Amino acid sequence: MPRYVIERRFEDGLAIPATPEGATACLNVVDRIAEHGVHWVTSYVSDDKRSTYCVYDGPNAEALRAAGRDTDLPIERITKVSVLDPHFHH
Amino acid sequence: MPPTALLERDEQLRSLRSRLTQAASGSGAMVLVGGEAGIGKSALVRRFCEDAARTARVLIGGCDAMQTPRPLGPLLDMAPGLGPPLTTLLGDESARQRAFEHLLDAFRARATVAVFEDVHWADDATLDLLRFLGRRLDATRGLVVATYRREELGPRHHPLKAVLGDLASVTSVTRMSVPPLSRDAVAHLAAGIDADPDELHRLTAGNPFFVTEVVAAGGDRLPTSVSDAVGARVGRLPDAARDALQAASVIGLTVEPSLLTALGHSVDAIEACLIGGLFVEHEGRLAFRHQLARDAIHDTLSAPRRRALHAAALATLERAPGAGTDRATLAHHAAEAGDADGVLRHAPTAARKAAALGAHREAHAQFARALPYLDRLPDDEHTELLAAYAYECEVVDRHPEARDAWRSAIERWRAAGERERWADAHTDLARVLFHLGDNASAESASARAIEVLEGLQAGAPLVRAYQYRAALRMLERDPEAAITWGTRTIELATAAGDHRTLAGAHVTVASSLMLAGRPSYAPHFERAIALAEAHGLHVLHANAHLNRGSGAGELHRFDEAEHHLRQAVAIAEQHDLDSQTSYALAWLALTRLYRGDWDEAAALTGRSLVRSSTSTITRIMALAALGRLRVRRGDPEAWPPLDEALELALRTGALQRLAPVRAARAEAAWFDGDLDRVRSEAAACFELAAQARHPWFVGELAYWRSLAGDLDALPAFAAEPFALQVQGRHSDAAAAWATLGCPFEAARALGESLDERHVRDAFDAFTRLGARVAADRARAHLRERGAKRIPRGPRERTKRHPAGLTPREAQVLARLVDGLSNADIAARHRVSPRTVEHQVSAVLSKLGVDSRTAAIAEAHRRGLIDPT
Repeated sequence: MPRYVIERRFEDGLAIPATPEGATACLNVVDRIAEHGVHWVTSYVSDDKRSTYCVYDGPNAEALRAAGRDTDLPIERITKVSVLDPHFHH
Repeated sequence: MPPTALLERDEQLRSLRSRLTQAASGSGAMVLVGGEAGIGKSALVRRFCEDAARTARVLIGGCDAMQTPRPLGPLLDMAPGLGPPLTTLLGDESARQRAFEHLLDAFRARATVAVFEDVHWADDATLDLLRFLGRRLDATRGLVVATYRREELGPRHHPLKAVLGDLASVTSVTRMSVPPLSRDAVAHLAAGIDADPDELHRLTAGNPFFVTEVVAAGGDRLPTSVSDAVGARVGRLPDAARDALQAASVIGLTVEPSLLTALGHSVDAIEACLIGGLFVEHEGRLAFRHQLARDAIHDTLSAPRRRALHAAALATLERAPGAGTDRATLAHHAAEAGDADGVLRHAPTAARKAAALGAHREAHAQFARALPYLDRLPDDEHTELLAAYAYECEVVDRHPEARDAWRSAIERWRAAGERERWADAHTDLARVLFHLGDNASAESASARAIEVLEGLQAGAPLVRAYQYRAALRMLERDPEAAITWGTRTIELATAAGDHRTLAGAHVTVASSLMLAGRPSYAPHFERAIALAEAHGLHVLHANAHLNRGSGAGELHRFDEAEHHLRQAVAIAEQHDLDSQTSYALAWLALTRLYRGDWDEAAALTGRSLVRSSTSTITRIMALAALGRLRVRRGDPEAWPPLDEALELALRTGALQRLAPVRAARAEAAWFDGDLDRVRSEAAACFELAAQARHPWFVGELAYWRSLAGDLDALPAFAAEPFALQVQGRHSDAAAAWATLGCPFEAARALGESLDERHVRDAFDAFTRLGARVAADRARAHLRERGAKRIPRGPRERTKRHPAGLTPREAQVLARLVDGLSNADIAARHRVSPRTVEHQVSAVLSKLGVDSRTAAIAEAHRRGLIDPT
């Protein structure tokens, strides 16, 4: 399945508390997006908590957008990516 | 179910109960309960129903895990609880709609809980029923609870997903998820056995069925899977009981006790299964405690054992008195038993019955079952079945199979010297070849049919062949020839009283008149629809709407297009006409794309492209929509669909495929900043479009050529909005696009203006649409011109308006509410009426309405009217 990076912008900052509620919120996202065949790999959050760079596996950009809509997560830009690993040697 | 405690489901039960209270007071609802197998969906719903039965009528129906499930199986289960009218209505398809209405009446009369279990296995008619109920429950006293396994939906296409999608926006439809048990709950269930709760929780992932099976299995070693656990329980039963379980597992989730005894299983053996907890009794039937238990037992059967058990079930059911068992079930057992004669005895009958009921997917599957064994039949029967199979393949959008089957049938009729059948089948073959994008072969098959049938002085088949020639001329965008052939066909078919061919000819003539720009087309469509309705010609009925919808779309008349495409989808879905559904969805995607509803356009392309066997012409249109959508959103992978679309369109060589694909590719190249490519794509089929004098194809291609500096002269017949753009009349073009309801095209025209205010409006519109690249370009444009305060996102004030209106648009709305005309507003605001027209369109589209009256009502409803 192809991999994508989604850039998201949160004008009011992203707040996911490190509590059971926060964990549930994340699991709910995982659950909802699974119905679109989308799998959340990992996310990077900027220090000001206003931008995130999220890595997803999914069938296509349309599925990622539908998943974003279902979970109320904004999308600035979707980029298809592949892995470049600094530790890869021949 | 054994009386195990229902753990950690209080929240779900509370929610279901409150839904029932609301339903009882007249606000019905549907709850879709999703979760993995064994997570306790049924246990939850059963517990809820036990309580509900005290205040409401409770109906329960289940779907079967069969390749070809019983049409409306769950409703058949519920029918006894609803009295005789429903039972009789379920007998024939023409009454299906009335059966649905009857159920709704029952919900109005009395508080009712209707449970549809395991709808991930539902047949198409049941899915239609859910869709029907979901949209109409709110004014009834019904609560519909449907359970489904989420993991069965997966990333691939699943018909239930389409239903979930369709119902997503209905407020009375909610989803509920049944989560895994916590570690503590697992520990509680496993209190009786010596197992580490953490280990057990990890192993079972909190799946209650798995946990209870592990507990029941006992033993020193923890079973590592559900089937392991079930296997351990079965291992403790006597051999005779195990045999009974195996026999039951090939029949289904539930089985009549009398069938098991007829199969030679003793009452003792059945009793042992009940005592051992593998069976439970449910309304006089024996049921596996859970589908997972049935699967676990079924999966341990060796292939020969499975075949033998199916053979025994078939033999016993065939001997049963009366015509109790339906053909689909008998055909299923025969197929699983590998019993060729049994399959030939039941599958074709089941197929014809399903086709007559409008269940074409089931019909196709049953014919396909018989296919490997047709050699055993007499020649003529063999060929007739092949042709019937070919027809069903075409209807369910499996055109490659349809082509191969027609070719075999044609070859067999040739060998048998059946000249007329042989020639007649060429008309069918031509139709399939056209769908496969092989226009040249379609032409020659059609010509051959006519040549031979004329020689034979054939009657009906010859008129049919003329009708298809007319249709081909229309499809090749040669409307004048199509009208000539079609008119002749109308005379002949009228004289012969051939309704089917007559209706088809009216559709062809109507479409041709429409494409030729003549207003007299509508009565022909209406005549075709009246004929189709009067004679139950579903395919033609859908086709009339489909041709009118796609023709209007090609002419950028999107209101008319959308209305008829939605009608086509409704008819085609109701009758399993997948080929027509897919094509209508592809065109609907294009329509929604132009109208600026990109989320729906995306969902529609997805639904249209689900099958790999989807016909070529459908793929071309859906891929063109998908490519343009990705280009406009700035999403990755815009070129692969456009490359595939071009490859397929080139194969057809037809203008109606090549022009939209070339135009979409020119647009993609434009966003890539590759002017050479814009030029070559737009020039590639310009001549073909100009020869056909097609205003819209020529208009768009001329527009791209002009942007690439490659247009010598604008043809006079080019469509107005594109012509205005080419002439540099940007705001007039924008107004024209706005009138057509095309917000992206309107913004694009405005963005080409030299007026900074226009470019800012374009930027706002692009941002609203999610047209990232176009918005970025508009911003860069403003920056280059030294505009001050370049916006980052939609302007702050825009953001603050609850409906996203700009301050100017909010003023326009206020004037509309005051009852002012465009001319009045223009005078008041000191702008041109054209500008006001554009602003009014923007207001309408932001409010999601399509008339001024609706906008005023919406403004009142949403409190958007500024008291100042």
